[in-house]
Amino acid sequence: MNIPRRAVFHLATGATLAGILPVDARAQSRAETLRYVTGANINTLDPCVPGTTRESFGLSMNVYDRLFAFGRKQVNGNWVFDSSVIRGELAQSYEMSADKLTITIHLRPDATWQDGSPVTAEDIKWSLDRAVSAKSLAPPQFSTGSLTSPDQFRIVDAKTLTVSLTKPDRLALANLCVPYAIMINSKLAKQHATADDPWALEWTKTNTAASGAYIVESYKPGESVILRRNEAWKGGANGKLPFFRRIILQTVPEAATRANLIERGDADLSIDLAASDIPTMEKSAKAKVISVPQTNGFTHISMNTQVAPFDNPKVRQAIGAALPYENMFQASLFGRGRRLYDASWTGSPPNIDFPQPMPLKTDPARAKQLLAEAGLPNGFKTSFAFSTGAAATAEPVAALVKEALGKVGIDVDIQKKPDAEFNTMEAEKKLPFFIDAGTAWLPATYYYFYLYFTRDQRWNFASWKNTRIEELAALARFETDPAKYEAECKEMIEIFADQQPLLMVWQPNHDAVMAKSVDGYTYQFYRQADFRDLVRA
Amino acid sequence: MSATVAGTRSTTQHILFVLRGNPVTAIAATLVTLLVVIAILAPWLAPYDPIASDVPSALQPPSAAHWAGTDQLGRDIFSRILLAARLDLFIAVSAVGLSFVVGAVVGGFCGYRGGRLDRWVGRIVDVLMAFPLFVLAMALVAALGNRMENIIIATAVINLPFYTRFARAEVNVRRNSGWVEAARACGESHMMVVLRFLLPNVLPAMAVQISLNLGWAILNAAGLSFIGLGVQAPTPEWGIMVAEGARFITTGKWWLVAFPGLALMLTVLGFNLLGDGLRDILDPRMRT
Amino acid sequence: MKTFLAILRRVGRRLLFSLPALLGVVVVTFVLMRVLPGDPAVFFAAGPSAGKAEIDELRHQMGLDKPMPVQLVRYLGDVATGNLGRSLTTGQPVVADMRARLPASLELTCTALVIALFLSIPLGVAAALRPGSPIDHGVRMLCTLGVCVPTFVSGLLLIYVFYYLLGWAPDPTARIDIFASTPPDITGFYLIDFALTGDWQGWWAAFTQLLLPAFTMALFVLAPLARMTRASMLAVLGSDFIRTANALGLKPLRIVVAYALRNALLPVLTITGIVFSTMLGANVLVEKVFSWPGVASYALDALLASDYAPVQAFVLLMATIFVLVNVLIDILYGVADPRVSVE
Repeated sequence: MNIPRRAVFHLATGATLAGILPVDARAQSRAETLRYVTGANINTLDPCVPGTTRESFGLSMNVYDRLFAFGRKQVNGNWVFDSSVIRGELAQSYEMSADKLTITIHLRPDATWQDGSPVTAEDIKWSLDRAVSAKSLAPPQFSTGSLTSPDQFRIVDAKTLTVSLTKPDRLALANLCVPYAIMINSKLAKQHATADDPWALEWTKTNTAASGAYIVESYKPGESVILRRNEAWKGGANGKLPFFRRIILQTVPEAATRANLIERGDADLSIDLAASDIPTMEKSAKAKVISVPQTNGFTHISMNTQVAPFDNPKVRQAIGAALPYENMFQASLFGRGRRLYDASWTGSPPNIDFPQPMPLKTDPARAKQLLAEAGLPNGFKTSFAFSTGAAATAEPVAALVKEALGKVGIDVDIQKKPDAEFNTMEAEKKLPFFIDAGTAWLPATYYYFYLYFTRDQRWNFASWKNTRIEELAALARFETDPAKYEAECKEMIEIFADQQPLLMVWQPNHDAVMAKSVDGYTYQFYRQADFRDLVRA
Repeated sequence: MSATVAGTRSTTQHILFVLRGNPVTAIAATLVTLLVVIAILAPWLAPYDPIASDVPSALQPPSAAHWAGTDQLGRDIFSRILLAARLDLFIAVSAVGLSFVVGAVVGGFCGYRGGRLDRWVGRIVDVLMAFPLFVLAMALVAALGNRMENIIIATAVINLPFYTRFARAEVNVRRNSGWVEAARACGESHMMVVLRFLLPNVLPAMAVQISLNLGWAILNAAGLSFIGLGVQAPTPEWGIMVAEGARFITTGKWWLVAFPGLALMLTVLGFNLLGDGLRDILDPRMRT
Repeated sequence: MKTFLAILRRVGRRLLFSLPALLGVVVVTFVLMRVLPGDPAVFFAAGPSAGKAEIDELRHQMGLDKPMPVQLVRYLGDVATGNLGRSLTTGQPVVADMRARLPASLELTCTALVIALFLSIPLGVAAALRPGSPIDHGVRMLCTLGVCVPTFVSGLLLIYVFYYLLGWAPDPTARIDIFASTPPDITGFYLIDFALTGDWQGWWAAFTQLLLPAFTMALFVLAPLARMTRASMLAVLGSDFIRTANALGLKPLRIVVAYALRNALLPVLTITGIVFSTMLGANVLVEKVFSWPGVASYALDALLASDYAPVQAFVLLMATIFVLVNVLIDILYGVADPRVSVE
């Protein structure tokens, strides 16, 4: 291809740079432009509407500000989000009362919306009210931080608000950092509110009323989004503007094509390449790979604890002993991730980190013995399901599960299901045995147990009912004494390791592949690229 | 008696004549025969267990031990290709057989009787024809569940309009011919006239279509596998092997795609060329 | 004038007759989508904290809490008024999505068809002139090979060779390089829009982007076109008027092109129409491999997500195009060959 494609580089505003600017200026604008390619779709600009894709969460983090943001730290040379540090984004500072029931928030005095109008406490109150009352995905999330009613948010003056809590919830502040906690220009949004839609959810799907680091310049759903830097942005960690002036987000469905684009230097960043392409990219002259285990996520093999034979802990333990973890890990991820099996502790865990490696070991003889003890010496028949979307990593696992369980007498029928069908059956608890993954935005040990192992709800993958776990999770949530919190968390992990409602097998790596010149990539809890941190060296 | 023998001989001679004059058809016939033999003998021919994994020796290039290399789980690709011949052939033959039988009988009766039945069937066929066929197959498999029998049904359904229309048209032009009148005059029932006299006459022309369709059915199943609506792992199937291998093509591991792709291609090629050859054999103009 | 009116009447009647088939397509698709085992409400409420209440709310918003016949009647009413619903995957009205994506699919399909015709007609003619010769067998072999490689394999191989290894082709993503500007939206066909605005550099960029996917598709349809050309040429070459022309000593080239080919093209035209509408519906895999923002890949994503509206709209669109193409062939037949009765 001989046509100088860069020469026909245009600004989306319509001005042709090629004709106006000298060559080095054009090169400069390419250097300050980041082309990001993804297999997923951005289906809404408002992350709160039902059906939002993960890609849309990522976009909203760059376009909107929240009151607070998590810090970041370096682990093994890579940047990772740090939920133990909470800094102001639209807020300049906050004070927590001694009883941990009142948070006083001071807004940045000079913060403005992208239309130039100042950010007021009224806007923030409206945004928080919306987050707890609109028919969106936000209220259930906010309730995990004990934020449930507009009465909790009070305006003190034009730049100050208070948030009051009934109990000292350890995740109240953290919930103000998640993608649903976007702060919206209420004057602008209200113009588009209707009687049926008082929170303008319909309008914000395709429009923005934000104050964030990037302004949406063009939005073609399912194709591309073009972002322009907000020169008036004040929410940065040190008050600095992001490096890239323009961001082009483009949907490219085929993973191999995305790999080719990066490999040839035509695209700058992709975070969803096939695991099998990563080793090649690591050797590439133009690209580099940043691999970080997804510390707040886990891949799990779940068993429905409410139906026979998986209602018997011995059967679950037998499966736990039969699986060839290392082979599964290698075949599925080529070893790219953190193992959550093969731990050497017994009884109580060494610390309260979660997920942490469990004492799962491949031992077919023990599996057979456990099956015999469960009264199933000749095994049984079951099916093992995974979704089409996860086929690249789940299909090899399924084949190995079938093979390994066949050796201890369990006959497994593999079922690959279209994503929607898989999700529906999973939510309706109709899958006896399956592989899936989970990620918690707020990586607190109690939160994992509350979210994944209590109550009759869809994220309780194994439909596990354990009264002690429920008690402990409720206690730990409002526990202010660190020693007691640790004891409660350790007991939960202990029960989990013994009962094995599901087998946490590994944390896959988050592999961000980028041009060699791109630096500063941070692994975020919502597993998307934060363009605000990136620079071109 | 002697007439039959003479007829047989002339047909055989004719086939041999065509094969000699048309080496491509001879190759195609060999290919298809070979395929059938492989499908039957696969379990005995395969050097390895096609399902047994051996993760430490995954993704090895072709070697003396593994003629076509190994896949992601260290399974022997050559053995899997052999075993897959069975399944692919089975899917194709059942799907095409199903649509042929249903299509020929329904189409035959419509062509023979005409009238209201014909109109209604015609309308249903029109609806089917108006569908984008691959998408219809996708939707059918997604709705019924991606099991082998449903892949067969979906493939059969999208083939149905061709056979129905074809049989209807062929029967329609023949229904008033002299020998049909004669059969009817001899007291044959309508059912018998269609099944014993009309359809066998249409059969040769349809054989061409069947052969072409067999190849198409295999491609169709492979396409369904590529988008994740194929047969279930770990059953070896060419389409799914190609689809899995496609992920490795940019990392230079060509054998994962190349060998199953080649098997797929040769099979479809065999059926297509055989279809063409059959057309030549059956075409009376060629015979003279 | 009289013939024109007759043709018009014929077209009108054809269109009217195809309405029941279209209705059938709509109903069948509707039912098929409803029996999909995936529940779109569950799938799209998949936020990290979406619970039962959110799922029910979404189901209510989508009208899925009503009995199926009520949903069907409501859907038919919507379709009649041109409202095809909203896609949950992209969050846009389906009509807007289709409008934006259909030109991409049509442009790709038409280009592929033109490539296929340019290759297949000469090949078919060459084969027909020497039936049974090595040329004939070679042509047959070549075309058949094209049908035998699944498009997703040939597409990936073409990308691998021409983009990855050789670097001749532009990056196989979408219709034009992302750093280049799109043409003003006049027809939606980039080649036409670039030509209209005289931006030949842009035209070339769009054209090179088109080549690989179009070629992948063209390979697959070479066989039916070449085969039909060959068969139809054979029939014409054996007919009396060609024999007469030969006997009169006319130049062979003139006979082949001016007399034989012109008369042989009618059946080719028919098969071209059929190939076109099949291609449009069947290029799911090509669009997927080349990240082409067309309607077929859009429908596939929607199908896997149980997103009803886009799939239903796609099938309806394809069925309508199928009907229109058939009517068009019919008219062309009437124009090209007056013997085809107007009745």
